[in-house]
Amino acid sequence: MASRRQLTMKTAETLVAVSIAILAGVVGVAFVAIAGASPTSAASAIWNGSFNGSQQLSGTLAKTVPLVFVAMGWILVFRAGRFHVGFPGQITVGGIFATLIGLHLSGAPMIVHLPLAIIVAILGGLLYAGVAAWLWARHDVNEILSTLLLNLIAAPVLDWLVSGPLMEKGAGVPATPPLSSSSLWPLLSGGELHWDIALVPICIVAGWFFLTQTRFGARLKLVGANPRAALTCGLAVRRIGVNSILLSGALAGLAGASLVLAGDYPGVSNNFEGGYGFYGIAVALLARNSPWGVFPAALLFAALLQSTDVLQAQLNVSTSVVGVMQGATMLLALAASTLFYAIRRRYRMPARRLAAVTAEPPALAAKETVEL
Amino acid sequence: MSTLAAIGYGPFNAGWLASTLVITAPILLATLGEVVSENAGVLNVGLEGMMLSGAFTSYYVAWKTNDPTLSLLAGAGGGLLFALIMALVAIEARADQIVSGIAINLLAIGATGFGYDQIFGGQNLVTVHTLGNIAIPGLSKIPGGIGNALFNHDIVLYLAALLVPATWLLLYRSKWGLLIRAAGETPEAVDTAGASVRRIRWIATLWAGCLSGVGGAYLVLADVGIFGQNMTAGRGYLALVAVIFGGWRPFGVALGALVFGGLEALQLRLAAVHALPSQVWLVVALVVAAFVLYRVTRGAARPAVARLPWPAVVLVVASATLFFAKPYISLTSDIYSLIPYVVALVLLTAALAKTRAPSKLTLPYTRG
Repeated sequence: MASRRQLTMKTAETLVAVSIAILAGVVGVAFVAIAGASPTSAASAIWNGSFNGSQQLSGTLAKTVPLVFVAMGWILVFRAGRFHVGFPGQITVGGIFATLIGLHLSGAPMIVHLPLAIIVAILGGLLYAGVAAWLWARHDVNEILSTLLLNLIAAPVLDWLVSGPLMEKGAGVPATPPLSSSSLWPLLSGGELHWDIALVPICIVAGWFFLTQTRFGARLKLVGANPRAALTCGLAVRRIGVNSILLSGALAGLAGASLVLAGDYPGVSNNFEGGYGFYGIAVALLARNSPWGVFPAALLFAALLQSTDVLQAQLNVSTSVVGVMQGATMLLALAASTLFYAIRRRYRMPARRLAAVTAEPPALAAKETVEL
Repeated sequence: MSTLAAIGYGPFNAGWLASTLVITAPILLATLGEVVSENAGVLNVGLEGMMLSGAFTSYYVAWKTNDPTLSLLAGAGGGLLFALIMALVAIEARADQIVSGIAINLLAIGATGFGYDQIFGGQNLVTVHTLGNIAIPGLSKIPGGIGNALFNHDIVLYLAALLVPATWLLLYRSKWGLLIRAAGETPEAVDTAGASVRRIRWIATLWAGCLSGVGGAYLVLADVGIFGQNMTAGRGYLALVAVIFGGWRPFGVALGALVFGGLEALQLRLAAVHALPSQVWLVVALVVAAFVLYRVTRGAARPAVARLPWPAVVLVVASATLFFAKPYISLTSDIYSLIPYVVALVLLTAALAKTRAPSKLTLPYTRG
């Protein structure tokens, strides 16, 4: 049973998340004002561009899907204390794998072709995350640095594939030919929304169940909160860390599958990743790393992403304003944790279960000393 | 000498040397800032973003005033601005340094992209005046083009080179250096000595931002004379790897920056030729063989054969074979552009440096 204090903390978490969103909105408004547009017209442009009308709404919901997958992947590794940031690279590799399946096996029935493409994409993300996991577990290479480099490696490989071996013959633009329709997610409604949105509630509930109701989830949290204590308890700290990275890579691969197999154009170009890998981290931080907060936070960012074209066309506001709000949200979410830290110290609360970024992370050097 | 002449230098000529230095300089500046900040216990992943914002502000000021000195200062200011945010979030708000750094990078990409679109959107970009070269008398006359390649550069490059021993003096031969290193190793001792860990970390973070900003400005003012969206393209991350490669010491990290500068310069030259020159295989074989020798001679506890890094040995044999076989290999520029990042990953894995990270790196400090 939830104690009164726990309930207070939950309310406070929600309040903080809402304040972060509002503050990030203020930052966005400031940039809109710099661009010379009035905040009210920007607000109405965002509303009209993202929610007002079935076309807009379906686009917003379609953009929510990959954001949710990446955010759940981040929450998973965050709980385990492995802050890898390889989502863009893993989405790219997952998407490439899905593309390869989608371009071949064109005679296969959809019931085989689509699931196969999704599974292979998941494997692709998992494999690419596996490189970082292996480097961390075997060679003590910090997973943040390795994944940053792996992101930088994946992007030119995609460039090369879509402008070389996989490029549509005779087409002027670097993109693959249309994938065969049996490998694509069927449309749910007119516009952009595909059936892959059905995976969103499944993913959120499964993530919640996995993190809070299973033994593995409990171990993950213990390893993340205090690797030394976990080691003393006899947990395989490295193996749990590796598994968390692999699982999050699988989710990034799934996001890649959605971007490729449920995109608005059936061919694949070199920018299908579209920054979702990092937007997903911002979504998770805005959701205060709680699975239940992921959907509203993802919807907010998806609405922003969906309305940038309208902002650009009607008010001449650069599409980069979403990038600004993404960075601002992350920084505000990180800084907000201080508030909790201060409150906890003030009222001498016990260490919180939602060990957010306030919980002091083990130092780089200390991480390396944890041996098995 | 005659055999060398027979093989030929291939892409490794005086032009490569000169462009290596020009590409190294911005990485080196960021690296030297980062080595101070990491020794003080602040891991600054936002280096990339600080370089990018420095590049943008310096281009903007150069475009407005056409004054190189002012635009270099503007570059420092651009880096400083994001270092300020980094310090507020990571030191004052005690948030996770690494995630804050990523957020700084994303914010910088967004903000510079926004500024670029709003100010220059739809215009043809003006190329600003680049920094003038100063030939060092005497040294620049070394024959074979080497003197010209090494000693005919702009003032910022010379200053960056001088900053390497200066940073060493600061960290290892001054009172401040002792305090900086103590702030990263045993902050309690700094407190006991009556100095402020907070202030030291603030200054170190701002210094790193300032130098990264100048590094970004250098990309604009020395190299291309123009700003491009996301033009740093991972150089800030290479600087982070260089710090680890160099074992958190100024001369080591400078060597790391030089390695990445050389690789960037090489990949640019390879992208311009059709067939992969065979000299590349010779250099790979020699460099990896040197690594193998280093590993085998280090630590005598186990027999030499057991200490052989087998993947590296296979690589030596393979590249030596390719050098003699001279197969026709032609790759696209996309693939060549991977070289620095792949080597960076390998260097992280090989863990050449004997020194360990400052033990309180990434840890916020609470007074007792």
